[in-house]
Amino acid sequence: MVALPGRPARRLRRPSAREAGTALLFVLPFLLLFAVFRFGPAIAGVILGFTDYTIGGETGWIGLENFRRLVDDPTFWSALRVTVIFTVLSVPLSMLASLGMALLTRRAFRGAKLFRSIFFLPVVTSLVLAGVIFSWVFSEGGPWSRAMGALGLPAQSWLADSVLVIPALVLVSVWSRFGYGMLILLARLQDIPAELEEAALTDGASAWQRFRYVTLPQLRPALFFVAIIETTVSFQVFDMIYVMTGGGPVRASYSLVYLLYDQGFKYFDLGYASAVGVALFVMTIVVALIQRLTLGREE
Amino acid sequence: MRVRKSLSAVAVALVAALAATGCGGDGSGDSGKATVTMWTYPVIFEEAKHRAHWDETIKAFQAANPNIEVKVEIFPWANRDQALATAIAGNKGPDAVYLIPDQLPKYARNIEPIDKYLDDAAKSDYHENVVQSVSIDGKMMGAPILTSAATPICNKKVFAAVGETTYPTSWNDLLTLAPKFKAKGFDMTAYAGDAKQTLNQTFYPLLWQAGGDVFSPDGKSVAFNSDAGRKALNFAKQLVDNGYVDKTLLTAAPPIEQTRIAQNKVACVWHVPLTEVEKFWGKENIQVVPHFTETKQIGYGTVGSLSMLKTAKDKEAAGKWIAFATNADNTKKYDVASSFFSPRKSTGALYASDPVLGEQEKQVASSTVGPLHEKARDVQGVLAPEIQAALLGKKSVEQALDDAAKAAAPLLG
Repeated sequence: MVALPGRPARRLRRPSAREAGTALLFVLPFLLLFAVFRFGPAIAGVILGFTDYTIGGETGWIGLENFRRLVDDPTFWSALRVTVIFTVLSVPLSMLASLGMALLTRRAFRGAKLFRSIFFLPVVTSLVLAGVIFSWVFSEGGPWSRAMGALGLPAQSWLADSVLVIPALVLVSVWSRFGYGMLILLARLQDIPAELEEAALTDGASAWQRFRYVTLPQLRPALFFVAIIETTVSFQVFDMIYVMTGGGPVRASYSLVYLLYDQGFKYFDLGYASAVGVALFVMTIVVALIQRLTLGREE
Repeated sequence: MRVRKSLSAVAVALVAALAATGCGGDGSGDSGKATVTMWTYPVIFEEAKHRAHWDETIKAFQAANPNIEVKVEIFPWANRDQALATAIAGNKGPDAVYLIPDQLPKYARNIEPIDKYLDDAAKSDYHENVVQSVSIDGKMMGAPILTSAATPICNKKVFAAVGETTYPTSWNDLLTLAPKFKAKGFDMTAYAGDAKQTLNQTFYPLLWQAGGDVFSPDGKSVAFNSDAGRKALNFAKQLVDNGYVDKTLLTAAPPIEQTRIAQNKVACVWHVPLTEVEKFWGKENIQVVPHFTETKQIGYGTVGSLSMLKTAKDKEAAGKWIAFATNADNTKKYDVASSFFSPRKSTGALYASDPVLGEQEKQVASSTVGPLHEKARDVQGVLAPEIQAALLGKKSVEQALDDAAKAAAPLLG
């Protein structure tokens, strides 16, 4: 998790040992729960990746065998390609939508709170439910294909086309996620001292210049946070694919987590499924580090 | 000091809580009774009716076995493997569970063979093909309680609208009739190509009808990329390319009410259960036809059985319960209530006077449950997308089957 920077921190008094002990007592239940239900299973998952664990079978240590299998498995590479394309398309679009909506709803105007609530609604809507509805929206003869037809484009089901299926899923993903990013960016936008913009305005800066040289630099830490969250969520895309396309057509939307699910819960090859999970984890960390080096660098 | 006291209190509370959660059941009830827990699924669609069946069966069982307490839990079909697999992994699985042959190979290592808990009379009362359908390495993995036959079913209303009175019984019939139906705006049949669909009910029946099989006889390689496999896939492709089926179903699995099947626009289907179409066609409009014939007359059917898990806390008690729940009387009651067929000879035909179920019942003998191979599902996972690719014209039939065989080879070692 990345801390979201706010105003410059005030210098805090160092707590006494007693105060620290009391504080620890309050956070202890959470720490225990985190260790038992988050950290523990994650470690166990990594360990399982080096075993041939299947339900009820004898478990043996097989070293890197599952990872060697991953390298030779064309389904893994296909799932990786799908996941990367999905992420590359959905993260920037989601961030742009979040930023746009945050800027639009930043000012206090009549109904601003209502708009913010409406924009946030998709975040709290079940993706499975949304998936069912969007399956119809993108189906042949559905509203989307009719709209495309009206624009002179082929009136086809995007979910049935191996090229268009990912853009369709990206649109649903952006719809379901932008509200969260909007909220984070909005909080940061409202935290930017008004004097900065006023000073820029006095200096004759245009609206674009104020955004480019005042607002955007101030937003950088929040944008970094949103980028990390969106990337992580995109790498883990599964539920809406499961509902909307089943990974098809012809594996064109078969993601890494779908592969993990199939291996674990359909074929019960939990060792291999864990190896897929480890690969996904490593990939997420690497991408997060790259983002940290670029978007998240300190001024 | 106060903090230390508080910490101690928390530690004691945690230990107490952990101890309490560790005091789970050990198979004995509070009065020294053995407890048997069984998981099943909505085999009888109406929940109240299903619950009533098991309540009545439990009552009768406990009257004869007062020291055994039975709990039957009914779970939804959706994600049942996920729930069962994680329960088994966490050592929290039930003592007995309802399984079908498609599941048996994957759980085989967790299943206690049921042979020794069934008496010889009970075992010899099962039809031979039923016993084979639940046997792995010569041992029965469950006590069969029902069978089914997924025969083709045709919509009389559609046939009447087209002015056709002959129902298809072979691939040739389907192809001959199809243009007439297409001309009137109807689909001759439907092919469910979505990867989530089990091939047992879509492609495999065609493969078997063409004389082929999924695996080689020794199970060490796949056999679907044979002449029979190519013939079966070419037939399905012919249906697609000529517009005799709705292409939407090749890539999606919408709820049946959103399909042309529900809109009475499809003449015959073989992948949809009778109970599903009955709601939209009306029972009086359903014409059951025998499994289609090409080289062979064969189709899919399942066998539902009650299996005991190796982790059953009291195997004798669980064995007694399974034997009782699947005896001829209880089997008959269960099958009639659920509109399934009996796996036993002694029950005779259950639907002799029913024009719909009676016809399906006759097809049980020519039905197969599909391959009982440990990698059957994994192979479906690599074959289904290739079939989809062939049907969508992205690969040739030969290429698709060869690619699937190539992908399946490492799975089989």
